[in-house]
Amino acid sequence: MLRRLGILIVALSVSLSWAPDAFAQARDSSDSSEYLIKAGFIFNFAKFVEWPTSAFAQPDSPIVIGILGMDPFGTIIDQIVQDKKIGARGFVVKRLKWGNDIKELRDCKILFVSSSEKAHIDEVVQIVKGQPILTVGETPGFAERGGIIRFTVEDNRVRFEINVEAAHQAELTISSRLLTLARIVQQPSTEARKPG
Amino acid sequence: MLFHRNNKSGPVRSAGRILLAGFLAGVLAGSTVAQTSRSVHDVTAMSLEDLMNTQVFSVSKRTQKVADAAAAIFVITQDDIRRSGATSIPEALRLVPGLEVARIDQNKWAIGSRGFNGRFDNKLLVLIDGRSVYTPLFSGVYWNVQDVMLEDVDRIEVIRGPGATLWGANAVDGVINVITKKAKATQSAVVTAGAGTEERAAGGVRYGGKLGDNTYYRAYTKYFDWGPSAYPSGMTAHDGWDALRGGFRADWTPAGANSLTLQGDIYRSRFDETLTVASLSAPYSNTFPNDGKYSGGNILGRWNHTSERSSMSLQMYYDNTTISDHSLFGDHQNILDLDFQHGFHVGDSQQFVWGLGYRSIRDKNDSSFTVSLQPNQVTLNQFSTFLQDEISLVDNRLQITLGSKFERNEFTGFEIEPNARLLWNLTPNQSIWTAVSRAVRTPALTEEGLRLNSAVIPPGAPSNPTPFPAVIAVFGCGPGSALPCTHQFNSEDLLAYELGYRVQATSNLSLDIATFYNNYSNLRTAEPGAPFVEGSPAPTDVVIPFVAGNKMSGGTYGVELFADWKVVPKWRLAGSYSYLQMNIHKNANSLDPTPDNPNGSSPRHQWYLRSSIDLPKHFDQDTTLRFVDHLPGLNVPSYYSLDGHLGWRPVTRLELSIGGQNLLNNWHFEFMPDFVNTSPTVVKRSVFGSITVKF
Repeated sequence: MLRRLGILIVALSVSLSWAPDAFAQARDSSDSSEYLIKAGFIFNFAKFVEWPTSAFAQPDSPIVIGILGMDPFGTIIDQIVQDKKIGARGFVVKRLKWGNDIKELRDCKILFVSSSEKAHIDEVVQIVKGQPILTVGETPGFAERGGIIRFTVEDNRVRFEINVEAAHQAELTISSRLLTLARIVQQPSTEARKPG
Repeated sequence: MLFHRNNKSGPVRSAGRILLAGFLAGVLAGSTVAQTSRSVHDVTAMSLEDLMNTQVFSVSKRTQKVADAAAAIFVITQDDIRRSGATSIPEALRLVPGLEVARIDQNKWAIGSRGFNGRFDNKLLVLIDGRSVYTPLFSGVYWNVQDVMLEDVDRIEVIRGPGATLWGANAVDGVINVITKKAKATQSAVVTAGAGTEERAAGGVRYGGKLGDNTYYRAYTKYFDWGPSAYPSGMTAHDGWDALRGGFRADWTPAGANSLTLQGDIYRSRFDETLTVASLSAPYSNTFPNDGKYSGGNILGRWNHTSERSSMSLQMYYDNTTISDHSLFGDHQNILDLDFQHGFHVGDSQQFVWGLGYRSIRDKNDSSFTVSLQPNQVTLNQFSTFLQDEISLVDNRLQITLGSKFERNEFTGFEIEPNARLLWNLTPNQSIWTAVSRAVRTPALTEEGLRLNSAVIPPGAPSNPTPFPAVIAVFGCGPGSALPCTHQFNSEDLLAYELGYRVQATSNLSLDIATFYNNYSNLRTAEPGAPFVEGSPAPTDVVIPFVAGNKMSGGTYGVELFADWKVVPKWRLAGSYSYLQMNIHKNANSLDPTPDNPNGSSPRHQWYLRSSIDLPKHFDQDTTLRFVDHLPGLNVPSYYSLDGHLGWRPVTRLELSIGGQNLLNNWHFEFMPDFVNTSPTVVKRSVFGSITVKF
C-alpha cells in the first residue's frame, strides 16, 4: 500500500508539473546567485525610475545599460533585458572600458560601475554630472561620493542605497516604491568638505 | 564561512505509469548536466520585495561566492532543509553529494566524508556557529545532541576534503559549518508542532524581538520524542530517545563598524539502546537494555570589526558536555576556546588573513568494567596560529591561496598543516580549481589512555587453553595509559590532492565536479601485545591486549558530481553521483589481525535525484530517490530510499508539511556499530507531519 503511495507521489509530482497552470505565480526565496538578483534589480530600476523626456532622442529610443569595467553579470543581464520593453523602449547592453570608452559613458541611461573601477569613481561621477544617467555601483562609499544607487549584501540578501540628492541633480524621478525599500544616503555637502 | 536546500487514485494510476516513464526520461537528461537555481525568467517576474527577500550565496572567512571557492563546497539552504522534510541536522546532511550519512539505531549516526565512516568517525570537523562540536574524547561528534531550531538555520556549508589550514587539526576529510540566522532575521514568533510514526512528537517555540535601535534577540525551546525502531525480525527495539533544548542569540550592532553577538544553548537528551558487554563470569557476555543521558550547555561571544579594507573578529566560547551512559561510561567535559582573526587587503590584489587560537579542555570520567580511561581527570591546552594569503592575478581571473596552520597539542607536540589552492576563472561562467593540502588527525583522549574490554573468551574454549577467562582488550597508548607502552600513539596524516570544475552552462543549468586523491599515513591500527595475568578485580583473568598503533597507510580516490537543472521556472531537478575507491592497507610491520575494515565501511557508489516543484495554491513538492551502495566490511546491503515531502503555505503565517522517508521499503539497514557493541536497528518507513505558525 505504502509502496504504491510512493510511486503515486512521484507520478503526481510529474503530472502536476505538466499541468498548464502549475507555473502560474512566483513566490518564495530559494538560493540564487548574487548577480542574477542584482541584474533583476537593475531591470526593476528601469521600471521605477523616470528619465526626463529630453534624455531620449525618440519615444522608442532604447534604454542603454552600460557596464563599466570587469563584467560580473556574464550573459545574465543580456538575457534578462532581451525582448523586454518599458513602454515603447527596449534595452541595449554595452560593455565599456575605462580609458577607451569614456565618451560612451554619456550615451548610457543606466551605468553600472563595476568594483574593478573603484579607483575611477570620482572621475565617473564628474563625467556624468548633470546628465540623466542612473549610476549604479557596489563599492563602499559609492553613493556618498555622488553615485546614485549602491548595492549592498546584508544577511545574504541584496539591499541598496540611494543618494536622493544625486538623483535630483541628474533630473531622475525615483518612484516611492524604490525609495521606501532603499537606505537613503546623504552626500556630504561640498561646503562641509571645504575647510572653514 | 568557507574559507563558507498523494492523494489521488483511480484514473491517475495508469496515467501515473506513463508519467513515471516521463519522469525517468527527465531524470536521465538531468543526470548529464550545481549552484544557481533561479532562472532569468524568474527574476524578471519577481517584485522588488521578492528580490530583496531572495537569499544569495556568500561564502568565506571573507565573503566569497561558492563559484569562487577553490574547494569542494556545497551549501544547504534554509529552503533546502524545509523542502527536504528533514527534522534533524544529520538527516539534512543527506543532501550533500558524496557525504556518507548512515543511521545505526534511532539515536546514533555514522557520518563521514571521503571514507573511514563509523560512529566514531574522527576525520570530519563539525562547527555550529563557529563552535566546534568535535569531541576530543574520541575525536568524533555526538550527533544525537547536535541540534538547533531548524527554522533558524541560515545555511549549512559543507566542505569535502581538508580544511585544516583554516580550521585546524581534525578537519581532515571534511568540515561542516551549521550557521544560524542573525537575530535580526528572526524577528517573529514561530510555533511549530508535529507528529509522526517514528518521531512521535516534536514541538518548538521561538520568539524574536528588538531591544532599542541596534539590538535584536531571539530565544527558543524545542522538544522531540522518537519511538523505538525495530530489528529485521520485526521485533520492537529498545532505542527510543527524546531531547529538550533551549537557547538564545542576541546581536548588537552599534553605529559604526562593530558588531557583537552573544548566544548560548542548554540541552538534555535521554536515550535507550541494547548493549552487549563482556564479563568475567559465565556466560561471559551479556546483552541487556541500557539507557543513558547526555546534557550540556554552551555560551559564545563574538566581536566583529569591519572596515573597508580589513576585518577583525574575536570569539570566545565555553562548552560543557556531560555523558552518562549507564553500565558503560561517564564523562564530563569543559572546553574553553578563544579565537582571534584579522584579515586585510594588501594592495589591490592580495587579501591576507591570520589568526590565533587557544583551547583548554578539562575532562573527568567514570569507568566501568567495559570502558575505562586513564587518567580519569586531565586538562589539555592547545595553541594554534594560521596565516593565509590570497593573491588575485590576471584581472581577478586567477586566484592563488597559500597558507598554513601551526598548532601545538599535548600529545604529539607541534603540527603544521599547509595548503596551496589555485582557482582559475576560465570565463565568467566556468572555473577550474586545484589544491594540495596536508591535514592531521590528532589523537583523542581514548587513543592515549583507553582500556576497552571488548570480549571475553571462556576458559577451556578452543582458542583459550588457560584455566582463566581471557579478556580481549583494546588499549590506548600514551603517557599514563593503563598499559605501559614503548611508543606513543601519534597523529594520522593526510596529503590530499584535489581538482575540481564548475560550470554554469546556462542560466538554469549548472554542474560541479570534484575529484580527489588522498594519501594517508600513520593510520590507527590495533597491534597485539604480550598477554599478561591480572589478579584484580577478581576473578583472575588473562588479558590479551591490542594496543593503538600507527601502522596503516594507503590511498583513496574518488569523484563527486552535482548537477542542478531548472527545467522550467517552477521545477528543479538536482542530481548527485559519487564514487569512492579506498586502498588502505596495513604496513608490513603491523601485526593487527583485524581485516582492512576502512575499505569496506564506506559506500563505493552513491547517487540521488531530487525533484522540487512549486505547485499552484502555494504548495510545494519534493521527491528524492537515493541509492547507497553496499558496505562489504560491515555486511550491510545496498539500498534505495524514496523520500517525499509536500508543503503548503496558504498564507505567509502558516505552513503545513507532510513528509515520508524510505517509502519504497518497509525497512533497510544502514550501518553497524563499532567499538561499543550496541544492537543495530533498521530504518523503517516513516511519515511525519507538522504545522508551523508565525506571528
